[in-house]
Amino acid sequence: MKKSILFLSFLAITAGAMAQKVTTTSAVVTFDATTPKDALPKAENKAVIASLDKTTGAVAFEAAVNNFSFTNAMIQDHFNGDKWMNSAAFPKFTFTGTVDKIKKVNFKKDGTYKVDVKGNLTVKGISQPINAPATVTVKGGVISATSTFDIKLKDFGITGAPIDGGKVAEKPTITVSAQF
Amino acid sequence: MYICFLLRNHSGRSFVILVVMTQTLSTSGKFKIPQVLFALVVLASFFLPWVNWDGNAITGYAMPAGDFFGTSEAKFGLANPFPQFSVAFYIFWLIPVFAVLIIGLVLVNKKAALLSFFAGALSLSLITVYILFTNTLIDLGVGKELTAMLKPAIYAQAVGAAGLILTAYPVKNIGSKIVWLLLGPLLAFGSYKMGESYIMNETHTATENVKADYTVAAPELIKEFLANDTATNKKYLDKTMVVNGNTSAVNVLSDSTSTIRFEDSTGSYIIFSLEKKELDKVKNIKTGDPVSLKGVCSGSIFSDILGTTSISFKRATFNK
Repeated sequence: MKKSILFLSFLAITAGAMAQKVTTTSAVVTFDATTPKDALPKAENKAVIASLDKTTGAVAFEAAVNNFSFTNAMIQDHFNGDKWMNSAAFPKFTFTGTVDKIKKVNFKKDGTYKVDVKGNLTVKGISQPINAPATVTVKGGVISATSTFDIKLKDFGITGAPIDGGKVAEKPTITVSAQF
Repeated sequence: MYICFLLRNHSGRSFVILVVMTQTLSTSGKFKIPQVLFALVVLASFFLPWVNWDGNAITGYAMPAGDFFGTSEAKFGLANPFPQFSVAFYIFWLIPVFAVLIIGLVLVNKKAALLSFFAGALSLSLITVYILFTNTLIDLGVGKELTAMLKPAIYAQAVGAAGLILTAYPVKNIGSKIVWLLLGPLLAFGSYKMGESYIMNETHTATENVKADYTVAAPELIKEFLANDTATNKKYLDKTMVVNGNTSAVNVLSDSTSTIRFEDSTGSYIIFSLEKKELDKVKNIKTGDPVSLKGVCSGSIFSDILGTTSISFKRATFNK
């Protein structure tokens, strides 16, 4: 009997914890590596998977590399090719981290909160720490989160003449937005 | 004609030709040796590696033989952007053919100036294309420095080609020789840059105007990906597809774009990112409605967050 109660309590706690985790499959990540010399290396992916744990602040993103859409077909091919993102071998970018001071966000009340996100971004199998400011907005029960930060391509082992020649930015800007 | 005749007949007639040759030699002698030498250099170096792309040696004849774009496509995913012009590359076979003819004609003291000009110009234009394309590959991350990727034979070919033009006999006008010298590289450079600019400014064809490679039912497509994701990704990646099914979720994003999802009982799903212009139509779709969508397949990933497979499509529209 005691065991059953314990098990039921465990189930209730787990269910409660699960209810705190919100997910979406339509988060948006944009990648802007444009330079004054080249306006083409810019793309967005609108089917990014994201999750946020409202209690612990744990946050995660997964973006299919191949689903980044460029206006130019050739640049898109290059982006996915062996020498750049090698999407065949590394099909997704991932981010796992935590929202600092998640407790100050009141998810039951409309409002806008400035928070910090810390975690690891994995690109081409290389993980690097990321520390970025983010904004969480709660409106009518809908949670929106956005963050903009730069990454250094070299940190992920991505180098080449186009970067040296100023055709691709050394530090592209990444913008992430998710609605839960 | 004289060469054939000479080979076939060793009697009195060939002697007559020999006399003609001796007479012409006195005026063309100083051009004869350089012309033959340059033609030999052009001929030999044409069949040697001109460039090296990440360990792949590309000879001069690789262009007319089809290996140039063949290697570039197989190794670096860069296919000939204008396949409709690939027949035109056979013209470069004229380089070794003309080189042989020049040697033959000069040896029998016949005028070969026009052949020298054409062979030289063709060769210099081909060299220009090799250099420009190698530079494009550097942009892709293949190799770091152009000079390190060029092989001695391309320099030999350049010297041979320029030499053929400059020593072409009996043209004495240096002006016309310079024009021939610049003609090939300028035409090649101009065409290459025009082609490059066309490609750089090219946008994807609107999905509604692209014929679908495959038409599938959503549950079947999910099953296919779950059964063998490697083979299925290979089969459908970057293909334009029509997917029919009942929607599981419709999501309108704040920037007027939207996504529509088809899901199976395990939670694995297909997601279409629709073009902005489809927004009004998306707003009329409710969960469970049957729809037919057309998009470009981005393949699948396994989501660690959801514990399911996600198959995504970009640049999607409603299938008419």
